[in-house]
Formats: sequence, C-alpha cells, structure tokens
Amino acid sequence: MFAQLHDISVNFGEVRALDSVSLDISPNQIHAVVGENGAGKSTLMSVLFGLNVNYGGQIFINDTRKTWATPSDAIKAGIGMVHQHFMLIESMTVLENIILGSEPNKYLGFLDFQLAEKKISNLLETYNFSINLHQTVDKLSVGQRQMVEILKTLYRSAELIILDEPTAVLTPAERLDLFNSLQDFKNAGKSIILITHKIDEVIANADHVSVMRAGQLISSLPIDGTSQTQISEEIVGVSKTKSISRKKIKAGSVKLNLSNLDILGMPQIGNAFNLEVKASEIVGIAGVAGNGQSELIEAIIGLRSSKSGFIEICSRDVTGADISTRRDVGLCYIPEDRQKRGLALGAQLSENASISSLVSKAFSKGPFLRKTKIRNFTEGLIKKFDVKASSPSALASSLSGGNKQKLIIARELSLESDVIIAENPTWGVDLGAINQIHHELLSMRENGHAILLVSSDLDEILTLSDRVLVMFESELSQSFCTEKVTREELGKLMLMKASDKKEKKKINTA
Amino acid sequence: MTALSLFFILLLLLNLADASFFEASQAFLKSAFGGRRYAYLYVTISRCALITGMAIAALIAFRAGLINIGGEGQLVIGGFAAAFVSIYSGVTGVPGIILAILSAMIGGGLWAVLAGLMKLKLGVPILVGTLLLNYPARYITSYFVSHPFRDVASGMPQTLLLDKSLWLPFIEGTRLDTGFIFILIVYGFVLIYSHRSVPGYHAKMTGLSIEFAATSGINIFSTTLKTLAFSGAIAGLVGAIAVLGIHHRFTDGMLVQPLYAWTGIVAALLINLVPWAILPAGFFFASLTSGASGMERTADVPKEIAIIIQGIIILFVASRATGIASDTKNKEEGN
Amino acid sequence: MLADLFDPAFADSVARIAVPILLASLGGAICHRAGVFNIALEGFILMGAFAAVLGTFMLGHVFWGVLSAILAGIFMGLLFAEFHLRRPGDAIVVSIALNLIGLGLTTYLLRSVLGVSGVFQDEALGKITEINLPVIESLPVFGSFLSGQSILFYVSIFLVILLHYIYSRHKLGFWMRAAGENPLALKTVGIKPTPVKLLALVLCGVCCGLAGAQLSISNVSLFVENMSAGRGWIAVVIVLVTNGRPIPILGLVLLFGFVDSLSLRLQGFGFPQQFTEMMPYIASLVALIFVSIRRMKNLVGMRGYDNG
Repeated sequence: MFAQLHDISVNFGEVRALDSVSLDISPNQIHAVVGENGAGKSTLMSVLFGLNVNYGGQIFINDTRKTWATPSDAIKAGIGMVHQHFMLIESMTVLENIILGSEPNKYLGFLDFQLAEKKISNLLETYNFSINLHQTVDKLSVGQRQMVEILKTLYRSAELIILDEPTAVLTPAERLDLFNSLQDFKNAGKSIILITHKIDEVIANADHVSVMRAGQLISSLPIDGTSQTQISEEIVGVSKTKSISRKKIKAGSVKLNLSNLDILGMPQIGNAFNLEVKASEIVGIAGVAGNGQSELIEAIIGLRSSKSGFIEICSRDVTGADISTRRDVGLCYIPEDRQKRGLALGAQLSENASISSLVSKAFSKGPFLRKTKIRNFTEGLIKKFDVKASSPSALASSLSGGNKQKLIIARELSLESDVIIAENPTWGVDLGAINQIHHELLSMRENGHAILLVSSDLDEILTLSDRVLVMFESELSQSFCTEKVTREELGKLMLMKASDKKEKKKINTA
Repeated sequence: MTALSLFFILLLLLNLADASFFEASQAFLKSAFGGRRYAYLYVTISRCALITGMAIAALIAFRAGLINIGGEGQLVIGGFAAAFVSIYSGVTGVPGIILAILSAMIGGGLWAVLAGLMKLKLGVPILVGTLLLNYPARYITSYFVSHPFRDVASGMPQTLLLDKSLWLPFIEGTRLDTGFIFILIVYGFVLIYSHRSVPGYHAKMTGLSIEFAATSGINIFSTTLKTLAFSGAIAGLVGAIAVLGIHHRFTDGMLVQPLYAWTGIVAALLINLVPWAILPAGFFFASLTSGASGMERTADVPKEIAIIIQGIIILFVASRATGIASDTKNKEEGN
Repeated sequence: MLADLFDPAFADSVARIAVPILLASLGGAICHRAGVFNIALEGFILMGAFAAVLGTFMLGHVFWGVLSAILAGIFMGLLFAEFHLRRPGDAIVVSIALNLIGLGLTTYLLRSVLGVSGVFQDEALGKITEINLPVIESLPVFGSFLSGQSILFYVSIFLVILLHYIYSRHKLGFWMRAAGENPLALKTVGIKPTPVKLLALVLCGVCCGLAGAQLSISNVSLFVENMSAGRGWIAVVIVLVTNGRPIPILGLVLLFGFVDSLSLRLQGFGFPQQFTEMMPYIASLVALIFVSIRRMKNLVGMRGYDNG
C-alpha cells in the first residue's frame, strides 16, 4: 500500500506536537522514523492509526483521501500497529488476544475458534513463527508478547505495519528474529514503519529513514543517501549543550554499601548484589529498562525487602529499616516516576516540598506545622532551581513535566543527604533543564555527597559518572572506571550477562 | 441544569403523594426552623450535631484515602458503650459523663481500628471490611439490649434509663442539649487538625498519593491506624451524645434507623472533603430531615423524600468527587 | 439429630435463600469483570423487589411483576451509567447515592402509591410459578433442592452456565473482560469500552431486578421496607471474593445458603435471633479474609505500604 501523510499538525493544548509533517510510505520497504523522546514520532503514528483524530492535514491511502473515526477504520484499511507498550489482555490466551475485536462468528456471537486457529496457524507457517496459541499471555516472555502483537496485525491482513520502539526490551536473539521477520514481511509486499531511536539498527535494517525533531520533519532520505553521523546530527540539531566537565576529585569514605543483598521479587534470577558508593563520587548503573534496576532502587530506598545480606548507609546497618529511618540516616531519592512517587499531584507545591524534611522535624513544632517557614522554604526552592510556578500554593499538577522534576530534585537535594539516589533524573525533561540538573548533581558530588545514578541513557551515565556498572538480567557487572571503558564494551554488557554462564537461559515457558 | 432536574423530581414526588407544593414547603420550613418557642429549630440543631459529627468522622477517614463506610457500626458501638458504662459503672455526675464519653470514643475507635488491622495485616479492603463490621455491631448490641441488659419493665429492646445526673444538661434558656457544644469543639479541633497539624498533613498526603507518602517516609501503617482510630472515636462520640443528651438510654436501632452515618457520609462527599464546610453541610442535611418529618406530619408527604433528595444531590455531585477512591478511577481508564 | 437438622425442608430453604443472592452476585459479577465498580446492588435489588410487587398488584399477574422488576433494574443501571460513564462520577459515590435512592424511593412509593407503611400485602398478589420436576423431586437430598423451586431458580442456574460460556466463548464476553482488564487495549482493536460497560450495567440491572422479584413475589408475596436487608452487600463481597467468575460464585452462594439455613435452624434450638442474622456477614467476612490473605502473598517483596 502507498500511504501519504500530508501536512499533519497536532496541538496538545499550547504545545505544537506536530508541525506540518508530510511523509510518504511505499510498499516493499522498511521505513524508519527516528528522533528523540518527544520528537513527535508516536504522535504521528497515532494519527495514522486512528488513535488521535484531532489533527490538521490529510491522510491518503493509495491516493484516496481517508479519515478515521477510530482505530477500527484504520485497521479495516489495512494498517496495523505494534505498540511500544503492549495492548494485551493478560488472562486471555494468545489466540484470544489475536482475534479480539475481529472475532470470527459461528452463531449468535459465539466464536468460531477452529476457523481462527486455522487462519493463525497458516500465518505461523508462512512467516516461520513458533508460539503456543493456547498459552495465556501473562506467562509469555516479552519477545513472545511482541510476536502476539505482530500476529494481531497479520491476522487482520495488514499491508502497512507500524512498530513503535520494538527492540527496546528484546534480547539480541529476539532482535535478530524480529528483523528477519520484518524482511519477510517486506518481501511479501508490505510496508513497514519502524519507529526507533537506535541509529545502528536503522543503518543495518532500514531502506528509508525520516528524521523528526521537536514536531517537525527534518529529512526523509533513502538509506544510501545518508549516514549514521548525518542522522545523529539531524536528530539532535544544533548543539545547545554546554559541555559538562567533571572535576577530578578523590573519592572519600564509603557512604552506601550493599553486601550480598538478595532482593525479593527481581524480574530475573540473578546473583546477590554487592555495591559501594563513596563520598564525592557518582556511580552510574547503565542498562536497558526492565533488568532489575527499579527493584534494586526500591530495595535501597526501603520499598522492597530482601532475603539476606545487608545495606549500610553511612556505616549504619539499615537492612530491614523503614524508609524514614533510612532517610534520617542520610538518604534521598529522585524517583523515575515523578507523578506517583515524586509528588502528590493534588497537593500544593509547599505541601510537596516540605514532605521529606517533615520526617526530620525541620518544619514542625510539636504536632503543628510551621507554615511560614514551609512557604519561605518552598519559595527558595522555586527560585534556586528556576521552577516555573505561580506560587507555593499552586497545585503540583499545574507544573509541566520538566518543572515537576526540577521541584522534586530541588526538594531532595535540599536535604543535604550523604547518599543521593537518582533514577532516570532527566527523563522527559527539556534540554535546558537537563543541563541544570546535571550541573546540580555534579556540584553535589563536589560537596562530598555519594551519588548513585541509574539511567537508561548511556550518554548521561558516561557524562556524570566516575565509575559505571551495567545491569543485565538482575545482575550487576563489575565496576569500570568511566575513562577506561568504551561505549561498545558497555553496550555489549547491556546485552549479555557478565558472569560466564555456558547454558543459554530460557525465559519463556511455551 | 441540576437544580432544574431536582425541582422537577420534587414536583413529581409531591404529586405522587397528593400534596401541593405550597403546602409541603410551608410544612417543611416550619418544621425545620420554627415551632413553638423554636422547639423544632432545636431539634434541627440537635440533629445537626449528630450528622455533622458523623460527617466529620467520614471526612477524617476519606481525606486519608480510607473509604470508611463503617461509621454506622462505630457509632452503634460507641452509643452502646456510653449507655452500658453509664448504667453499670456506678459513676455518676460529671465524672460519669466523662467516663461514658471516653468509653464511647474508645469503643468506636477500636471498632474502626479492627477494620484497619484487617486491611494492613490480612489485605481485606477497607471499604468492605468497615462495611461488613457494621452488621455484627448492630446485631451484637441488639442482642445485648434484647436479653442480658434489657430494661424488662419497659417492654422494649433497650437499656435502662440513665440516671438523671448523667443526662447532658440543656443550654441555658433553651431546649437544646449541650451535645452540640461537644460537636462544635470537635469541629474546631478538626479544622486545626486538617490545616495545621502534622498528623493531619500526613493523612492528607497519604490520601492524595499513597506511593508518594510511602516513598517520602510516611509510616503508612501507623497513619492508617491513627486516622481510623480518630474517625471511629468521633463516631463513638456522636453515639455518646445521642445517648447522654437526647435519648438517655440505648434503644435497639435508634442510631441506625435515622441513617445518621450515611447522611454524614453524604455530607462529607457533598462538600468534597473541605473541612470548614462540614458544619453548614450538617446543618443543611439536618434541616432537610427535620423539614421532611414536618412534611409527613402535616402534608402527608413521606419523610423518605429527604433520603431521595440526598441521593440525587450526591449523584450530581459525584461527577466532581476527586481524591476519593482514586484507585477505582485509574482502573477504569481508557473510556 | 443430624437427620432432623438436614431434612428436605432444609435443602429447600437453601435453594430459596440462594436464588436472590445468586442473581445479584451474577449481576455484580458482570459489572465487576467489565471494570465497573458497582456496589449499589442493595439499591438495585430493592427497586426490583418493589417494582415486582407494584407491577403484580396494578396489572394483575406476576408476569407483569417480573417485567416491572426487570425494567426497574434496567432503570437503575441506566442511572448508574449516566452518572458514571457519561459523566465522570466516581463509581463508589454513585453507588452510595443509588443505594440511598433505592431505599428512599421504595419506602416513599410504598407510602404514597400503595398507601401503607412498613409492609404491603394483598390477596391479589400472586407468587412466581413453581416448577416440579417429576423424577428429580423424589431424590433423597437433592429432590427438594432441585424441584419445586420458582422459575427464577432455574433461570439463575441457567445464567451461571450461560455466563460461563459467554466469558469463554462469546464475543461480548471477551469484550467485557477486556473492558475490565485493559480498556485501552480494547480501544486499540477498535472496540469502544464505554458501550460495553453500559451493556454490563444494563445486564446487572436485569439480574438484580430479578433478584428483587424473587424476594418479593416468590418466597413470599409482599414488600417490606428495606427488603433487601443487606443481601446486596453480601453479593458485593461474593463478587470480590470470586473475582466475578460464575462457577465459583455458584459454589460460594450455595455455601452461603447452607450457612444461612443452618443458622435459621439453630434459632429453633435456642440460638438468639441476632446471632443467626449476623451469621451471613461473619461468613462473608471469613471468606473474604481467606482470599485476601492469599492475594497478599502474591505481592512478593513489596513493603512500605502496609506492613509497618
């Protein structure tokens, strides 16, 4: 199918998410759409797929103008989408999930399972897929779930398949399988749109690449007509980043110590954790999301219990201690989920700002709140970190994402805790704020604090950290000095276990 | 739009009862606020005390994210405790009153904490746990006043009459019992609690986002139990006031029949858990109930019209109820 | 003594007690699985019970009564939908409102339309036809359980089986499950969750309306103020405990019917009335505790929210 997006514009309130974007999709082609977070790639696809119906511009399929009222219309026209976050019903089987919404009728609405099974089995054969159709989705691995999503599109005879960041959570083997399948689809005459931010994958697999930045289309070229460097430059645009320099400081005493910590409920089975973070150093943990980083952080904070081993903060044993004790001893936390963990959206900024300090009794006199002191403190935070807010009594929900993050960081850093845990601190934050946050973290480092940085952004890790470890399948690699390790080495570790295991671990249960 | 629909429904209902709108509204106003030497007004204020008290109890819990709909049970336990202690402890006069009130608050508080422990230790949701406990409270106290502690001579399922020294005195020159003063004190206390106290602040944050509260170091366990204890204690206090000030004994069903607890919950929801508005809301619903009783006496309009009106008001208010049961909202996204 | 306790009349009473709770639980289950947190079952049942009596009395036959009960239930369901689906009302608040409206409206209409206070009884009121199954009725224990019950008993058993198959093999069942588990996923395959939830509410209304009819024009032939007497809440707990699955609901309802009948029997042996009235709630609480403990165990490792 030939698809044309013509002058597509989308506004979310005052924000112009898409600005007159035009794109041509051809059959027998893998067309990559690349760009950073927030560039507008997903928004554009949601328009093409019918999830977003408030847009300016036109959609043409095979030269005919089309408008969708719901995804149903797009699906009927032959467009299929494999979402980044899977849209599956956990309690239903693979087969049931595939046919949901396009069920084959036997009589009176009761389903013809045999027909469905036959049709799907044919698809499995044609494209060399292997999966148990009667397994419930909740028992499937991530790669298998994605396969179900792909089968959904094939079942509905999709001629144009959109994949949104498909390789983010796949193992190397699964990645290979995916791209092989995409080649098969392409050869069968389908159009593939691949949304990704991984340029190396684009170079290796795509035929055509379009670059988006800040809601606009920057370029759209056949893969031969461009290069990795050119694509990277187009994605980032004119470099606005002030170069960050990390002073050489001698690390002090150990402030955070994990010793043989066996954490409950890790996503994969791995060894116990040993980790040290010293004063005046930033230790970075790199790795693809979903490998146990969140659980590790939760265990350090006190939101998750451990089976054995111990945690020490400032040489005090806090294993099993509750969260307020750990904070008291010297811990603060910049969470990744700022809407749920970092803030109470329905509360005022001053109420949000004073929370951690309340635990250490700074803003209370007996059972009473010291409201003036809290207000002054909040105003101070707002000023110092340049948080765009109307007043301390504004609700937290009124802040933009970046400003929410700034407030959280301002609050946590104001505690002057010995240990700072930062979890993806600049995710979804605009460039200027990212710089500011990085500077703050570095200056905390210079002032003797111990910082543990967990991030899926390798550049951030390498810029800020003195030492770096990699988390893969719930195990930590050895620690590397940032100056002495290359991106490639780290990249490899993000895709395979540091400990030498001869057997290949099977994660699925098909 | 809302007011218009409400008006239409009122007309329809009055029509069904063969009452004229004029006659009914006259009866309503007189019965809520008038009466010989303001007798009816005192009744309204007396009711207002009970309803406001129950609304405060509900507000305290809801604000902390705890959907305590067991106010009825906590109220009944408190009322019975007050009657029991008053009659059988041998303590009379002001010390007796204080003892009765304390017993009531402890009883109500413990009954609420029981539901809290079921949640924290066993995982039973607060909504269902508090609700289910309403029934044992009702039936156990009913049993007590129907058999072991019954006033046999009176022929009714109730306790003996309280000693006169334990009756709450009337306010000078009126027929209004001092129970109302207690509720005013509680009202003031809750205002300070909500806006200026540390426990009130912790409760509010826990109610707005439990993840945020936990991550920031608030002890969810103790905040939950403390808040429930407070909520249940207020409900118990209301029971004590009803027993000591109005009925002077505990009769089976006297606290359940008038739906004080549910009206209190409705009042708390109506004002969206804003503390200062509790007193006006309590007065509003008390007037509604008193007025409706009057309509029944004079214009033959069944007094249940008050309950219907409460329900309709809350239906319309539901659309903006925020912060209550945010869990259920999140589960139902995607519409 | 045991034989005295568990005679045919006992089996019969288990069935009678079970039917309204079963119907209401099935209705609640339909809402629950479709993602609508409807705890207004008390109000729904009450409206159904009153409508059944009103319809039978005014139009002369129980058929009209049952029809009125169904319509009353649908009315409540639509009311819920208006304020919860079309308007952004919190389901719990809407439920509290509808429970109050059910109680208030039925008592109000009892007085204003039927002209009595407390109880409405009339010779003109009939009962829902009972069906005697020829061979089955002579079976030892199950005879009086399975035979001689009102039509609604058989309807409710049929509903259990029907629902089971609808959820496992029917388009609508799938859509309702998806609407409850992951409405966004349902949306992306082109089905809007809101109409599905509306359907669930209407079906719930039908079931609870029938439950009310069973209460007022089957086991007995009258309407009492607040006739549902907490059964709606029992149904809510049963739905929560079973997670809305039809066959476990049947099992739990039968267990409940057994406990309730047993406690009624025990009254004859001298147990105070209040204790037997309390039994259903204690039993529900115990069942809930069991299930809650098991569910808590599945939250591996998380702490800070509940355990001090």
